[in-house]
Amino acid sequence: MEEKLTDLASAVSSNVFDGDVVALQNMATQAAPMATVREIIRQERRELGLVVLVGGIAVDWLAAAGCLNRLIGAAVSMEQFGLCQHYRAAVESGQIVVEELSETALNARLGAGARNLPFLPTRGLIGTDLIGMSDNLTLIDDPFGGPPVVACRKLVPDVALVHVHRADRFGNAQFEPTAIWPDLGIMPKAARRVVVTAEEIVDTDVLRRNPDRTVLPGFMVNAVVEVPFGAHPTSFNPNYGYDSRAHLDWISAAKDPGGVSEYLRRVVLEPEDQAAYLDANGGAGRLAEILRWERD
Amino acid sequence: MVGPVVSPKFSDGKGIDMAVADQAAWETSPIASDWTIDELMIACLADCFEDGDQACNGMASFLPVSAFNLARLTHAPGLVWLAGALGLEPRPVEVPASTLEAPLWRDAVMYVEQYGDFWNLALNGRWLQKFCVGAAQLDRFGNANNSVIGGDYHHPKVRLPGTAGLGDMGSIGKKLYYWNPNHNPRALVDRVDFVSCAGFLGGGQERSDLGLEGGPELVVTNLAVLDFEPVSKHMRIRSVHPGVTVDQVQEATGFELLLPEGEIPATREPSQAQVDIIRAFDPKNMRKREFRNR
Repeated sequence: MEEKLTDLASAVSSNVFDGDVVALQNMATQAAPMATVREIIRQERRELGLVVLVGGIAVDWLAAAGCLNRLIGAAVSMEQFGLCQHYRAAVESGQIVVEELSETALNARLGAGARNLPFLPTRGLIGTDLIGMSDNLTLIDDPFGGPPVVACRKLVPDVALVHVHRADRFGNAQFEPTAIWPDLGIMPKAARRVVVTAEEIVDTDVLRRNPDRTVLPGFMVNAVVEVPFGAHPTSFNPNYGYDSRAHLDWISAAKDPGGVSEYLRRVVLEPEDQAAYLDANGGAGRLAEILRWERD
Repeated sequence: MVGPVVSPKFSDGKGIDMAVADQAAWETSPIASDWTIDELMIACLADCFEDGDQACNGMASFLPVSAFNLARLTHAPGLVWLAGALGLEPRPVEVPASTLEAPLWRDAVMYVEQYGDFWNLALNGRWLQKFCVGAAQLDRFGNANNSVIGGDYHHPKVRLPGTAGLGDMGSIGKKLYYWNPNHNPRALVDRVDFVSCAGFLGGGQERSDLGLEGGPELVVTNLAVLDFEPVSKHMRIRSVHPGVTVDQVQEATGFELLLPEGEIPATREPSQAQVDIIRAFDPKNMRKREFRNR
């Protein structure tokens, strides 16, 4: 098997390029590959298009850092922490163009991408204003005589970014309890390249004990990097919960432009590695809090 | 009144155990003396779900989640719940700060993986026939908007979170139950700025002419319960909450509401048993977070 183990800087510099369409694992406050997101900001990628099912703080960081000019997704929200205000402002000013899709339409576009079909249909969205806002959706007749359906054009992201519980050095990747959301279930399979960060790199024999937890085959993966707490400040079930204070810190910093650049400098740009990043976010004490998971 | 008539217990000191609800007691429970508006709304939503239904919830859905649990512990023990549209029959300790995160779906019987399983079930038509919708704007024909307000789509005055699953649920034959804890003229509008969830569209036959089944059934707000007149599909008052007048409901609405024939009833107040269950399941009062003036 081919070796895929590398470091974060190389993983991003070799796989994420200006202008790329980047599929991002993320469900509001859950399981985003945040270490990779920070590396993208550090490497000053520009004009990225983001694909998200429900984007959270990662979308706001990338928007605030000026990395995005378009987004394809079903929703962007940090749920109890509110709207992503920088993303929102960038959309309202026209800097980020949104292709808003329902969940089945996004799934259909990615499913068609994974299976190399020109489109897949959905019955969602009929009657809404969303169909008319996307060049990638169109109402078509059922060739078998039934009611019309919405054709959702194939979407092939340039690269998918995911964070998993464990992987081996060849990129075989396991997730707990399994790939429950499409951000892992379908996005990487539609993408041209896949960058995996993992809480731990393990021997392949460890994966063999529970092959039912393996969600990505190594041959699909271009780079794999070990990053403990790599989803922080989003949650990573069952290992750790989302970091409420980190979310609140961002919201508070994001209220003024000076606060944003200072936050990005302190949290994203300056920490030399993951340990330094975690120290900048409350260190061991904070990690102990998020490890308590259900008690937030 | 002798103490709480229903005491949800915890099977393992953690999750709520469905088996302990006292079916006989809740039915005879008197009206709660100190119910609050969130509890009344939850009781109204719970009434919409019955044995044999399957319910699911999305993000920031404290009232639906509380309503499903209330229904399951009282009149609808056979109501199936997919927490976060993912965890089948979970046993959460309590309502957590997120209705999408793992603490809500702990102890699930099955993870209903979303891309395949969940949408297979939801699109099939046999299951998950009812869906609770929360949205920034709702109009006289039950169309909902969670996309953009003002301006044009690409330069909106306000960019909202996005349609997520609403854009699907409105078009695939579901019965839609709207909840809005902040009934005001900016939330209940004549015409939504953007249709992200299909209701009755322009009213009358427009929805059925497109071949769409299901559609808006009920709207539960902090002031009233509203339904849709069967022919025009125009929103209509069904009941006003105790202490609220019809004029107040009308003033808080951005269009003229239809009135039912005869006396307009007051919404039924929640019973002591209902209130006890709601509070036991949500000791941190997450349900009150949805109310702007709490």
